[in-house]
Amino acid sequence: MSKVMSMKEAIAANVRSGDFLFIGGYVCRTPFSAIHEIIRQRITDLTITRSNAADDFDMMIGAGCVKRFIATFLSLGVYGLGRCFRRSLEKGIPRKIEIEEYTNLALPMMLMAGAMGMPFVPIRDMAGSDLLKVKSFMGEDKYKLIDSPFDGRPTILVPALNPDVGIIHVQQADEFGNAQMWGIGGDCMYGANASKKVIVSCERIVSRETVGKDPSRTIVPGSKVVAVVEEPYGSHPGYTPGFYDADFSFGYLYQQASNTEEGFKAFLDEWVYGMEDRTAYIQHYIQKFGYEAYKKLGAEFDYGFPVSYAY
Amino acid sequence: MNDFSGDYIKPELMACCGAREIQDNNVVIVGTGFPTMSANIAKHTHAPSAVLMQESGVIDAQPKRPALSVGDPCLNPGAAMIGGLVDIMGMLLQAGHVDVGFLSGSQVDRFGNINTTVIGPYESPKTRLPGSGGANPIGCLARKTLIIALHDKRRLANKVDFITTPGYIDGPGAREKWGMPENTGPHVLITNKAVLRFDKDTKEAYLASYHPGSTIEEIRDNTPWDLQVSDSVHETLPPTEEELRALREKLDPFRMISIYEKKGYV
Repeated sequence: MSKVMSMKEAIAANVRSGDFLFIGGYVCRTPFSAIHEIIRQRITDLTITRSNAADDFDMMIGAGCVKRFIATFLSLGVYGLGRCFRRSLEKGIPRKIEIEEYTNLALPMMLMAGAMGMPFVPIRDMAGSDLLKVKSFMGEDKYKLIDSPFDGRPTILVPALNPDVGIIHVQQADEFGNAQMWGIGGDCMYGANASKKVIVSCERIVSRETVGKDPSRTIVPGSKVVAVVEEPYGSHPGYTPGFYDADFSFGYLYQQASNTEEGFKAFLDEWVYGMEDRTAYIQHYIQKFGYEAYKKLGAEFDYGFPVSYAY
Repeated sequence: MNDFSGDYIKPELMACCGAREIQDNNVVIVGTGFPTMSANIAKHTHAPSAVLMQESGVIDAQPKRPALSVGDPCLNPGAAMIGGLVDIMGMLLQAGHVDVGFLSGSQVDRFGNINTTVIGPYESPKTRLPGSGGANPIGCLARKTLIIALHDKRRLANKVDFITTPGYIDGPGAREKWGMPENTGPHVLITNKAVLRFDKDTKEAYLASYHPGSTIEEIRDNTPWDLQVSDSVHETLPPTEEELRALREKLDPFRMISIYEKKGYV
């Protein structure tokens, strides 16, 4: 049965206030279209997670969607610190989020454990740092320090995570949800598979037969997927390998806007609340910056040798 | 052929100092900015077989422009392997296959502990910083950690406000007590004034070389702990012709590295 629907339908049917969300992406394939829809539908009290969060998480925090953040990092990269993230933690604007802090080894391993059905996972980092001293909403369950039952060495155990919903943006998927991704992975594959259900946003919907021509690229099997949304340029201003480049000018525009509460509100009004959907967003982009600017983001084509799975 | 000798900016010198710590065939985890510059200078000079990787999942990228983040689009085409965080941070770093990690810190202390979490109290921060990201696991698990920092009494500290990434923690024996792999830890602290190394016995950073234009006295005055000076202290070797050629002709023709001058690296 086809799971293809609009982003509005996918979010309305699957994301509730108070849910725990994994949101994939690493500048690469940020599911921005889904994030804008969550903000538009005024979903709140979310717990969100991903390693190396950026402008997308900053925006959700600023928009007041987030109660809790299982984090490793949040920054706007070359543009500097996340302004909404800072306002939240320094001044409680629009609310002070609760933050539980891990690392880019620990958190991906916790998602991997979740995906594998493991209850917890031992890790070799975080030791000796103040990350062990600060505990938020996870309390004593943030980690356990034990002597390894095998060699007696001090070992940190961290719990598996199983988000209610995983949201990812990939290059292509079929109507059943078999999702195919290439390029920088971040924690996308484990995060999605750790989630109880998955919303797949993609640049293009392809046939089941096309998926079968290169099945090693599938990172989530359709059986875990509840919605497939075709959203060209769905991760703008992030990028999707083979489709379009990161929009560095827009990243700067967001940083400048989010510098102040007023600027951030105006940004949301213009680019999120004022837009019906992703199509309207792209049209607005073209009207504002011109077709040339839009076209310039498009990737060149550089195909490799086709792979064959024949026997 | 251009002659660059004697004409360089401080960030270029610092990038060269980093490059000189990388040996041929080293496996190196790099971030953006200085780490990438350093690692690539090494690769284009004395360490052609060094293998660079980004925590986001990329091994041996062939970027056609300077990468602005570890997830940059230009890291994808041409790489030898692309996976994800579990592959780089788990399969390679945690499994013990990374020789050199390269970190920068908003605040670094005399034991090489790094703070990228918070300035001021954790619960009511004066400035909330990004957090660990990949820094903590790199500092815990890479054989050598190279650290870049600004040299003043605010950025260097006796004790950081928050240990995001452990160096030698509170001194000799601390890493061992926490069960960290042997022979790992901070290797060098490169600032805009000097190169500091870590004493084998005390684990405290000491002055190994001062950059041209800086004096031992000035450096000691700008260091918040009683900075010890190596018996063999000397002036830092300026960038060589070969290093600068790699940097300016191949890696950074638009001299994007000069943005670090605006950040205080002068």
